[in-house]
Amino acid sequence: MADALTLERSASAHTNAKMQVVNLVKRFENAATGQSMEALSDINLTVQKGEFLTIVGPSGCGKTTLLRILAGLIEPTSGQVLLDGVPITGPSPTLGFVFQSDNLMPWRTVWDNVGFGPEMRGERKKDYAPRIEHLLELVGLEGFAKYYPHQLSGGMRQRVNLARALAIEPDVLLMDEPFAALDAQMREIMQDELLRIWKETGNTVIFITHQIDEAIFLADRLLILAARPGRVQELMDIDLPRPRTLEIKRTPHFTEMADHVWHGIERQVRASIRHEQFASGAPKRSGAELAS
Amino acid sequence: MTTQLTFDQAPSAIRNPRPKPPSSFQKMYRHYRSSLIATGSILAGLLLWEFAARLIIRDKLFLVAPSEVIVRSIELLQTGEIQQHTATSAFEFFAGFALSAVVGVFGGLMIGTSKLTRNIATPWISALYSTPTVALSPLLILWFGLGMWSKVIVVFIVSVFPVLVNTQAGIEGADERLVETARAFGAKRSQIFTKVLLPAAVPFIVAGLRLGIGRGLVGVVVAELFGATSGLGYLITVSSQIFDMGALFAAVVILAGAGVISTELVKILERKIAPWRA
Ligand SMILES: Nc1ncnc2c1ncn2[C@@H]1O[C@H](COP(=O)(O)OP(=O)(O)O)[C@@H](O)[C@H]1O
Ligand SMILES: [Mg+2]
Repeated sequence: MADALTLERSASAHTNAKMQVVNLVKRFENAATGQSMEALSDINLTVQKGEFLTIVGPSGCGKTTLLRILAGLIEPTSGQVLLDGVPITGPSPTLGFVFQSDNLMPWRTVWDNVGFGPEMRGERKKDYAPRIEHLLELVGLEGFAKYYPHQLSGGMRQRVNLARALAIEPDVLLMDEPFAALDAQMREIMQDELLRIWKETGNTVIFITHQIDEAIFLADRLLILAARPGRVQELMDIDLPRPRTLEIKRTPHFTEMADHVWHGIERQVRASIRHEQFASGAPKRSGAELAS
Repeated sequence: MTTQLTFDQAPSAIRNPRPKPPSSFQKMYRHYRSSLIATGSILAGLLLWEFAARLIIRDKLFLVAPSEVIVRSIELLQTGEIQQHTATSAFEFFAGFALSAVVGVFGGLMIGTSKLTRNIATPWISALYSTPTVALSPLLILWFGLGMWSKVIVVFIVSVFPVLVNTQAGIEGADERLVETARAFGAKRSQIFTKVLLPAAVPFIVAGLRLGIGRGLVGVVVAELFGATSGLGYLITVSSQIFDMGALFAAVVILAGAGVISTELVKILERKIAPWRA
């Protein structure tokens, strides 16, 4: 492991590595049954500065867990994550997180939810207010600044979730199935917007999705995770020209890649569907699931 | 913990954005209509009571008519007796309740956030929360005398636990995911407390205060029944001994009014500090 670390570190000296994942392992212990489950097994990955990496994989393969570790929210069992060559020890102010469930504060208005990050950092309201106004416009919610989350649709809440992550002007955007709750049109608009923001800011984006065409459309590189335990199955370069328009999704090359990704994870997905049917009724992460 | 979206799930249905909130006129009308019905219901009840007292029961020892309660109340107002008794009980209630609100909220916050305090306090709380501590009143009167302070302490003891227990539940029930979200955005421990745990607990705190009010009012009266020199409970005891049913009812009506008013005040407080729940 030390060798791999030195290797990765020296690599970051002359490449443009933004984030490096080195021999990452994550096990969850189930206190009730005393069993431990390997959620991620020996992940190695380097994400370049400014790169757009998408991650697909069957449900429960550890995508969210990987992202939470990258964000410094939970600790890996072993291995390391380097941000700009420095091991991360906790949440970093340069990482923006878009959560899978929107996780908005019900007691804050849309405006105050978007301004949450700057407020936590102690920025002065009058300094970040223009940024918030701009972001609300960007996600099409300028008329809803004073609304509370319970007054919004799922899609609108998810856009607030995105704006909140952008409000801290992050170097790296970590996005966990951010568009899953949006309808097809809104999703395509948001994909476009995201690519535009990405180009404008030069952010690094790590984007989880369960939609294969979305994963290909957005990505520079696409990571397929295999399940039980979660591990890298394949890392694909997506060599489609940019800027990308919707028509690209109908080109033979695009469908070829989509077929390839689908075949890559089909078996996994089928297995996970069977698994879920088997465990249906039981809540996720229950003992039953961990034990199987 | 996190809601899972899976491959085999269809994208969740999109709800339409809510229509504009109803105009203030519509709101007022709705509010007005329900209070109209409530007032009508009370008036009908009073009429029935008047009717029963005048035509069916007729024995003033058993049931006195509302009209006579009003007449007797006016007499008591003129002598200033009712003001004096009300002031005594009001002081006892407010002093005791304010004490339990402060102690209950702060205690609940501490128990909810610190494991040590929780371990120390839990056995006491479980033992005392559901005990009818109002039964301790005679003892407290023996210790602290017939005056107001024994009543203040009774009110405190009976109303502090609902506030304490609810505040703790609110802190402990705060959504883990929101705590993680705050952490992801760089919130410090103190910020997680003030910006996540505390607002999450507000509705619970308000519910605890409401329960505490109900218990506190009962506490005042019961404590005064056991021994006092002034107060509405004292008025009830004395009037029942001299069969002055009009005065007895006057005291009960004031207590009912106090309950309604305090509960409404807490509701207004909730709307002020927790507008997102409207
Ligand atoms: N806090 C946790 N405690 C126990 N098990 C967990 C926890 N978080 C995730 N898991 C388990 O780890 C596996 C991967 O979960 P997750 O990362 O959420 O998958 P994905 O996002 O790919 O659907 C699942 O089997 C899940 O039940
Ligand atoms: Mg997930």
